[in-house]
Amino acid sequence: MLSVKNIHFAIGEAAILNGLEMSGKDGERIGIIGPNGSGKTTFFNCVSGFITPQKGEINFNGHSVIGTSPSKRASLGIGRVFQNFGIFRDMTVKENILIALESRDQNNLLSFKVSKEHLDEIDSLLNLVGLNKHLNSKAGSLSGGQLRLLEIIRLVAFRAKVYLLDEPTAGVSPKMKGQIVETLKNLIPKEALVLIIEHDISFMKDLCERIVVFDGGKCVLDGSFEEVRSDTRLQEIYFGTTN
Amino acid sequence: MDYLINLIIFSLIYVLLAGGFNISFGLGRLLNLSHVAGYAIGAYTTALLSTDYQFGFFSCLILSGIFSMLFSLIIGAISLRLSDDYFAIGSLSFSFVISALLINWKSLTRGVLGIPGIPRPDIFTFSISDNLNFLIVLSIAVFLSLFFLNSVFKGPLGRSLKAQGEYSHALEALGVSSFKIRMYSFIISSFFAGISGCFFALYLSYIDPSSFSLSEMVFVLTIVIIGQPGSLLGSSLASFFLVFLPESLRFIELDPGILGPMRQLIYAVILFSTVYTRKASLFPIKRTV
Ligand SMILES: Nc1ncnc2c1ncn2[C@@H]1O[C@H](COP(=O)(O)OP(=O)(O)OP(=O)(O)O)[C@@H](O)[C@H]1O
Ligand SMILES: [Mg+2]
Repeated sequence: MLSVKNIHFAIGEAAILNGLEMSGKDGERIGIIGPNGSGKTTFFNCVSGFITPQKGEINFNGHSVIGTSPSKRASLGIGRVFQNFGIFRDMTVKENILIALESRDQNNLLSFKVSKEHLDEIDSLLNLVGLNKHLNSKAGSLSGGQLRLLEIIRLVAFRAKVYLLDEPTAGVSPKMKGQIVETLKNLIPKEALVLIIEHDISFMKDLCERIVVFDGGKCVLDGSFEEVRSDTRLQEIYFGTTN
Repeated sequence: MDYLINLIIFSLIYVLLAGGFNISFGLGRLLNLSHVAGYAIGAYTTALLSTDYQFGFFSCLILSGIFSMLFSLIIGAISLRLSDDYFAIGSLSFSFVISALLINWKSLTRGVLGIPGIPRPDIFTFSISDNLNFLIVLSIAVFLSLFFLNSVFKGPLGRSLKAQGEYSHALEALGVSSFKIRMYSFIISSFFAGISGCFFALYLSYIDPSSFSLSEMVFVLTIVIIGQPGSLLGSSLASFFLVFLPESLRFIELDPGILGPMRQLIYAVILFSTVYTRKASLFPIKRTV
């Protein structure tokens, strides 16, 4: 359960978030859309803890997380897929997931041996998305779609409870978008809360029961997929007109 | 023969010193310009403890490492929160503080006069006053250190450190504190600076502040860059390469007055050409949210 109340964030004179409110329950799948620069990524950065809003509350499972570090929030279960790819490209696919597993299990930092359980877990996850033959490849050699898949299963491996997915299909070939939707549907546990930022509303159709629309650093529309898509205000937000 | 042993000993001291630096700089991309200050602290710790207080070999070795670690704990707590460039500047200023102390705290360090007559304590009954014996002990220490460093490089700390260097936010989003990881790497790396300082002092039996100057720092940086940052084998081979290389100058008839500047020139050319030819691959591109 995540709830965000009256968030204000400005850089200098420029107000980026303007009293943003929104909340999500465990098991919900929420799509977030909005024009470029409407504050979607900034909202995720507030929730992940990379920036601290000047005003407002962020509660996770009943506790305020304002003031706690990003790594602490992640340990609580707030996971993130980055708009600009959060994969360590200079490391192998295996190492990328291993970091998540070792952090999840709080392994001793100075231990030397990689546990067999972790290797098996990596193997089975990669199998599920067809990346197993890339186990020892540099992540930087993967395609955009493969990087997204890897980042998603890395969060699954980490056992995140909240998935903040920032444009998980940006930079992905149309063919692979389908695979990403399937992965999100099948691999993320049902009880997790998933927030997906996405420009392509049709992508959300069979993924999100609820759509939230951002504009000017606020949440301006909130409803079921059908409600939001047929709302005349949506066009106005995107194109500035209602014709 | 003595000449060769001398060069090997110097190379091995640099293997240790650069191996430590390779953790924080090579893996973690922390341009820690106070690394040689940690080396100085190790060397002076050993020099003072063994001359004034007749401490034994192991106490000198361990305490050199520990004092260097304590120093890095202070610098780290203050400057590791700074972003990269500022961290480099912050660590550089701490190294100037150490230089100033070495020169000016005369009652402790004897200033520019340095500390002469540092004895080489026996290891139980084994005497290391002979250079060959010293080399044997140093080799064992280097071997054990490389073994430990290698496990750090290949283990969870090494992985997180590398990840932190590429995209620290992405690492934090997986529940790992970048600050903690940096701090660990910093402390471990300074331990090795400290113990290499101990060997340096015991070997030369005389130290003064000029051995711990900024150009020494640049030399260590050169070793790690030439060996490819993050490669322990690379920095070890590069230590030998850079120690042996200028020796070839001895075989050309050169005025001793140009020999010194000539060495610096060779190092500068090597460093520059390495950075220039490998600028794209030395480090991955850094990202942020
Ligand atoms: N660090 C920063 N410095 C200055 N301006 C910033 C910074 N971060 C964000 N902004 C500005 O804040 C506004 C919102 O940015 P944000 O990235 O949250 O938008 P977004 O909704 O994610 O857009 P997009 O769809 O393009 O990803 C933009 O106008 C952006 O230029
Ligand atoms: Mg964005």
